[in-house]
Amino acid sequence: MILSLNEVEAMAKKAARGAGYSWGMAEEAGRATRWLCAQSQPGGAALAALLTRLDPVDMDARAPRSLDDWGAGDAPMCPLLAGASFCDAVTLLPDAPLTMRAVAQPLLLLPFLAQAARQGDTAFSLTFDGVMATTDGQGLDISGNPDAETVDVVITRSSVTCPDTSGTRAEIDAGDWDTLGRFAHRTYAPATEASRRLGAGTDLSDND
Amino acid sequence: MSAGAIPRRDPARVMRLHRLGSLHQCRLSFMRQLTRRMARENWTFSRPVFNIDAHGVGHAVYSAKGPDRTYSLVAFAHDLPADQRSDRVIAQAWDATFTLFDGVPDADDIARLRANVPLQEAGRVTAREISVSRANRSVRLWAHFVEALAAGHQPDPARIDEVGYLMRTTAVYGSGKLGAADREALAGREETQAPFQVEMLSVFLTRAFVRDLVEHMARARGGDAAVRLDPTLARQLGIGNSTGLGMAPYLVNHPVLFNNWIMAREEAIARVRSLPTATAKAVAQVRGLLAEMRAQAQTDPSQHPIQIERNAALAADLSALLAEMEARDMAGDQPWNRLFLWAEQTLSDEGQECLASFMLEPYGDLVDGLGACMADANADAARIDGAMPVATLLDLLQGTYGWALALDWQAHEAQARAWYVSEEKLEPRLGERFDEPIAAYEQPLAPGRDAAALAQALAGWDGTTPVAAFLLKHPEHRHMVRRVQISAHAPYGEIRDNTISAEVLPIDMLRCKLSFFGATRFDPRSDRWVRICMYAGAPYPDGLTDDNADLWVYDQTEAPA
Repeated sequence: MILSLNEVEAMAKKAARGAGYSWGMAEEAGRATRWLCAQSQPGGAALAALLTRLDPVDMDARAPRSLDDWGAGDAPMCPLLAGASFCDAVTLLPDAPLTMRAVAQPLLLLPFLAQAARQGDTAFSLTFDGVMATTDGQGLDISGNPDAETVDVVITRSSVTCPDTSGTRAEIDAGDWDTLGRFAHRTYAPATEASRRLGAGTDLSDND
Repeated sequence: MSAGAIPRRDPARVMRLHRLGSLHQCRLSFMRQLTRRMARENWTFSRPVFNIDAHGVGHAVYSAKGPDRTYSLVAFAHDLPADQRSDRVIAQAWDATFTLFDGVPDADDIARLRANVPLQEAGRVTAREISVSRANRSVRLWAHFVEALAAGHQPDPARIDEVGYLMRTTAVYGSGKLGAADREALAGREETQAPFQVEMLSVFLTRAFVRDLVEHMARARGGDAAVRLDPTLARQLGIGNSTGLGMAPYLVNHPVLFNNWIMAREEAIARVRSLPTATAKAVAQVRGLLAEMRAQAQTDPSQHPIQIERNAALAADLSALLAEMEARDMAGDQPWNRLFLWAEQTLSDEGQECLASFMLEPYGDLVDGLGACMADANADAARIDGAMPVATLLDLLQGTYGWALALDWQAHEAQARAWYVSEEKLEPRLGERFDEPIAAYEQPLAPGRDAAALAQALAGWDGTTPVAAFLLKHPEHRHMVRRVQISAHAPYGEIRDNTISAEVLPIDMLRCKLSFFGATRFDPRSDRWVRICMYAGAPYPDGLTDDNADLWVYDQTEAPA
């Protein structure tokens, strides 16, 4: 399916919320998936796989133990929680390569590295399992198949610049879109006659 | 009195719901930014297709050509049974449906759009389309127009005043909705930089289509006896808009954008208040416009008790204001500031905000450039600064949300409502938290309550701890931490009132947003539903000139000269 980036972001945010993430983390999931799709990466597939694996997510158990200990209490670690924490703390972390243990769907870390790169006017590389991905925030240079399920990853600072590879449309497999839609559906309240009547409109007719 | 520069008003004063719900259009309104630009740049307009049958079914294309590119409104006209006419999101059919096409559509485009645009949310469009919208007729006024014109005479102007429009839009979707182009895809275009220019252009062209359609239907019925609509009457017609709760969360969900709108207007107000003198001509212009507004408030046909009361209060305010302007020296010693201070002591919120908007009118040179600052171009504004110490975050929070910390959030009336989305066509709704099973589905639209909860959670943390460490343990507060940090550089981004209280009036949020569009004639249909009018008094595309591109908004109730 071809989608607008806003559609992807809105769907990913609702899906993450439906899977049990807080609203603030759901917003991160929306932006992260949007960025991956704009980079022609399978962001929708990665998020659908992640939510399915962790459902319902226990954020405490899937988050890094601390800003010095980048593994989850309960493996695999969530790349959204780890990525958001990394980006939050990026100016506090040492310059040395940082290892994250047992990360699920590591592709989803990349948008957070991109955001951290824009923030620090630098670039970051992510390596795991024969994959090397580098982003300076605007572009993404990736080699190898990033479709890993759970891996240890290493993040290093870099000074390269990437050509801007961002596009304006998203392509998501219809099955993955349906999966996200099922999670998103959990955020909708079942309609009742009372809510239909009182919740939105007016008792006045529109045939006036 | 010192003649120094007057600062912008305090956000704590401006960002109250009642005041935001009293705002009026001004020079910075998005419709006026658009019509000024199109006149200045000599845009040309054409109607390459008008293929509509005697039953009012078919399609038409209206093209607007600017200096760099052309945009086309593709309109589909339908024959809608009355029992299907609803303005709510849950509707599935409309009197007319539209898309704004990027360029000039060919026959293949039209065929593709015909299969999708009439379905609205159930259809798909592409990156060639930049908005999707629909409209319903005002049934009584439409019938009156067709009948009168078919019989060879003009419709009754008093009936026009009662309603104000022949059709009202019930949604105008932009920014990637239903597969359309994202706003970012238009980022390099000067004509779409200011907010909602795509949507405003769509409505401007829709108004021309509606005029043509009613003349066409009259001709179909009356044949040679039919007459065309008097251009003076046509100019009085706007396009209505019927808006519910879908619009209310927008202001909460876009704090940086909202800040930029309010800040631009506040800066404009401060600049005019800071002027050391005013010419007699400028004062006379503002007085004339205020008098026109008083006439509009006195004849406003709204039936809603809230609006009737507000119109009466506004008319009384404007009478007092006009008398005051006549009595006092308006020449020197920062005359607008002195008048404004008097208004703050004397008039209702509505009267104060009317003066604030209208006193900008003589000063396009000071004000209009601020229109370019109203977009939100910083995609990374939502990034959290995790290095910020917890103590700094708490200071910021207390600055912006002090009002919320003073509330008793345990009281039922403080949390009486919850915003949620219904699974029924995803309609946004507002419910009673303690009476309906909706709390589990609540949307994050209560920043006051969430700020109070965040303050409580922060209380146990050492002030030097970085926010990143706090959020690692408290991801449930991430949304609110982001808002607090945004408020540090977007002081007007947050409504400083309880958006889930038993007394909240969602129409205040709707009116605030619609006033920035440039809407007039606010007509609440309930506490969460409002009808308004757009472009009433404006020239049609073929008559747009520099002379009439701006102040048309004041020409709604009398024939233009």
